[in-house]
Amino acid sequence: MSAARPILALEAVSKRFGGLSVIQELSFEVLPGERVALIGPNGAGKTTAFNLITGVYPVDAGRILLDGQDITRLPARKRIRAGLARTFQNIRLLQHLTVLENVMVAQYARHPSLAGMLQPVNLRRGNRWQREAREALAEAGLVQYAEEATGSLPYGIQKRIELVRALLARPQVLLLDEPAAGLNPAETEALAAQLAAISGSGVTLLVVEHDMHFIGAFCRRVVVLNFGCKIAECDCDAVGDDPRVREAYLGADTELAAAHA
Amino acid sequence: MSGYLEGVLVLLAINVVLAYAAFLPIVAGQLNLGVAGFMATGAYVSAYLTNAHGWLPVPAALAATVLTAALGLVVAFPILRTRGIYLALATFAFGQVVVAIILNLNVVGGASGYPVRAYIGFPVIAAAAVLVFAAIYCLFHTRFGISVTAVSDDELVADQMGLSVRWLQTAAFTIGSAVAGLAGALHAHHFSYIEAQYFNVLLSIYIVLYVLLGGTQTIYGPLLGAAVFTLLPEVLRGSAQWRYVIFAGLILALMTWRPQGVVTRSLLRRLFEWRRPPAVEAT
Amino acid sequence: MLAQQLVNGLMLGSVYALVAVAFTFTMGVLKFLNFSIPGIFMVAGMVTWAMLKGGISLLLAVPAALALGAVLSYAVERLTYPQMRGGDHFIPLVSSMAFLILFENLVLVAWGSDQQRLALPFQSVSARVGDIVIGVPQLIGLVIAVGVVWLLDLVLKRTRVGRGLRSIAEDAETATILGVSVGRVVPVVFLIGGVFTALAGVLFALNYQQASPFMGEEVALKGISAMVLGGMGNIWGAILGGLVIGVVETAAIHWFGARTVDIWVYGLLLAILFVRPTGLLTSSLGSGRA
Repeated sequence: MSAARPILALEAVSKRFGGLSVIQELSFEVLPGERVALIGPNGAGKTTAFNLITGVYPVDAGRILLDGQDITRLPARKRIRAGLARTFQNIRLLQHLTVLENVMVAQYARHPSLAGMLQPVNLRRGNRWQREAREALAEAGLVQYAEEATGSLPYGIQKRIELVRALLARPQVLLLDEPAAGLNPAETEALAAQLAAISGSGVTLLVVEHDMHFIGAFCRRVVVLNFGCKIAECDCDAVGDDPRVREAYLGADTELAAAHA
Repeated sequence: MSGYLEGVLVLLAINVVLAYAAFLPIVAGQLNLGVAGFMATGAYVSAYLTNAHGWLPVPAALAATVLTAALGLVVAFPILRTRGIYLALATFAFGQVVVAIILNLNVVGGASGYPVRAYIGFPVIAAAAVLVFAAIYCLFHTRFGISVTAVSDDELVADQMGLSVRWLQTAAFTIGSAVAGLAGALHAHHFSYIEAQYFNVLLSIYIVLYVLLGGTQTIYGPLLGAAVFTLLPEVLRGSAQWRYVIFAGLILALMTWRPQGVVTRSLLRRLFEWRRPPAVEAT
Repeated sequence: MLAQQLVNGLMLGSVYALVAVAFTFTMGVLKFLNFSIPGIFMVAGMVTWAMLKGGISLLLAVPAALALGAVLSYAVERLTYPQMRGGDHFIPLVSSMAFLILFENLVLVAWGSDQQRLALPFQSVSARVGDIVIGVPQLIGLVIAVGVVWLLDLVLKRTRVGRGLRSIAEDAETATILGVSVGRVVPVVFLIGGVFTALAGVLFALNYQQASPFMGEEVALKGISAMVLGGMGNIWGAILGGLVIGVVETAAIHWFGARTVDIWVYGLLLAILFVRPTGLLTSSLGSGRA
């Protein structure tokens, strides 16, 4: 138990769907400013864990704490307002909004009030909310897509737009669900650089990923899930040696071994 | 201005108000097939206030709008627990029930209709249409506009991004019903006679259809839809029925080839680019 | 008295049942609320009147009306189904509404807005069972309605086309992958729906000796209430729903007056949508996505 208070803590969180127990007594902590990876074979419950943390489903048992505050029963929309943002495994950009408007949606979380809802964000071009959103897109190298519809954009671009959107909520904790999936090596490197910058500005990152190179280069700590339970928690360097982790990935991959060969 | 032209413009103004009554819920993902029911509520409340209680027509119309909004708010709670087709059906059922209730209220004429003594002329109606357009224009260009579109596109994401989904849906529905009530009041005081049977589901269908014809991506689509619907019979001097036949044909053609409606964001952008030289990309 | 009302209600209900089956069948297989159905109902009724008035024998007029229903329904299919594949889900609903407007106004152009009286080429016979009077044509209508639905149920359960329909109702994508020729099976849905609706329109016109361009709105639209009551996608539920709505309407007329009918019928629809939107019975056609 470290001296600093964890910014995100799960305490014995459990979730069942029908008769199937998908998350079992999951407990782990993330310290402020940390970069933690959540890994595990397919079906281990990683995205479900995210969905529980962000409030898509209610937990059946256990607690979730954000910076000491118990958010277990807090409605989903209030969690992002409290500083917890996320991206999605399958890209979920809004089809009838432009890229700029898509990322602007998250600005409301910082001013969730009637006044915030009535901000004239689309009335005059170049207003401050648009400027802020454009700057965020520019930082990510995406400002040329600002007026585009999202549907026809390349996959990698859409993923990065989602990340910008989550950032515009100015979160304390950012949950990223497979941010490198589907990206080519160049895009993956750009993503790593972007995430390093985000982490450098103080945002805590919890990342679900399969790409072990990416994780190894980027995260300090790894939490390993299998069948909804935490089976290991260790430093990135050690994870490949852990026999339980090896067993979890039994036969399924050589990446783990290769990454730490 | 000739009486004939004024008549057409009044119709256009009221249809524009109705268009925006249907527009806002559609943007929020709600197909309101009970628009006519809210229109009827506004019409009858306003008519009653002026007939039975001697109110002046404009205050009565405003009061009717507020009362219709209250009805919309009350009804929104159960109705917005449904989604998609169930929502459309619930609004349809609601519209039918409202009209059937009015049909049985002898105090407002029941099945024989209700003459309305107080009169509202063209200038006020035109002003109302302009004000409604301006108000919805402003509202649409606030964060509210983006937010209801977000809710309509993906409720889960909207919720995860911090939006109050139920509040937004309720607001869109309630505002829509209020605007419909206003249109009803204006209609009642201009045509000096209302009957419950007029506000049937087919009227709701016409309104929704011409809004979709105009296009719901931008704030200008409903204007075009209302204009086409109002001016079609004037352009084709045939009988009223042929105008509806052609209207139906237009809708079918549209749904086949351009379901997003005539006025879309890309169309608007291309029009604006044509009017001024292409701008240098600002960085 | 009560029993007579019940019988009258069931007779009326058989018409609603047929329309409800058409609605629920399209809804169950294609997840599509077909607003053109009241239009086809009305056209069938009006065309029957027009043909009888023109001296055409009933034996020719009825099949002709049914055939017309099938043809119109096919036209609707051509212009709504292709859009269902991949467009926004509301597009087919909107197109079907356009068809309703089209049919109603074409009939208004052809024959005006008056309600028409049918001259029946046969004597209306009634049977007496105790105190209750049962119109024989109405009874025949009820038997036909139930019989036709029973046939449909057989088709769904025993034939290849029926299996194809049920698999599409369950999951359209998987059905295609499994080799169901969706393009050939889907028109069947529309044809069956069209014939059922036309049959309902013909029965209504003959049994109540009236037809009007507004009978779609006034009568057939209540079939939606029956459909939801019985559970969308459940054809026996639609029969049940139709009979219930028929009884509700007859009782309402008897005790509260004809003007209150819509309050009861649509109030019931509203209540069901709020309380138990899946209807009284569960779907027999599968609850999958299209």
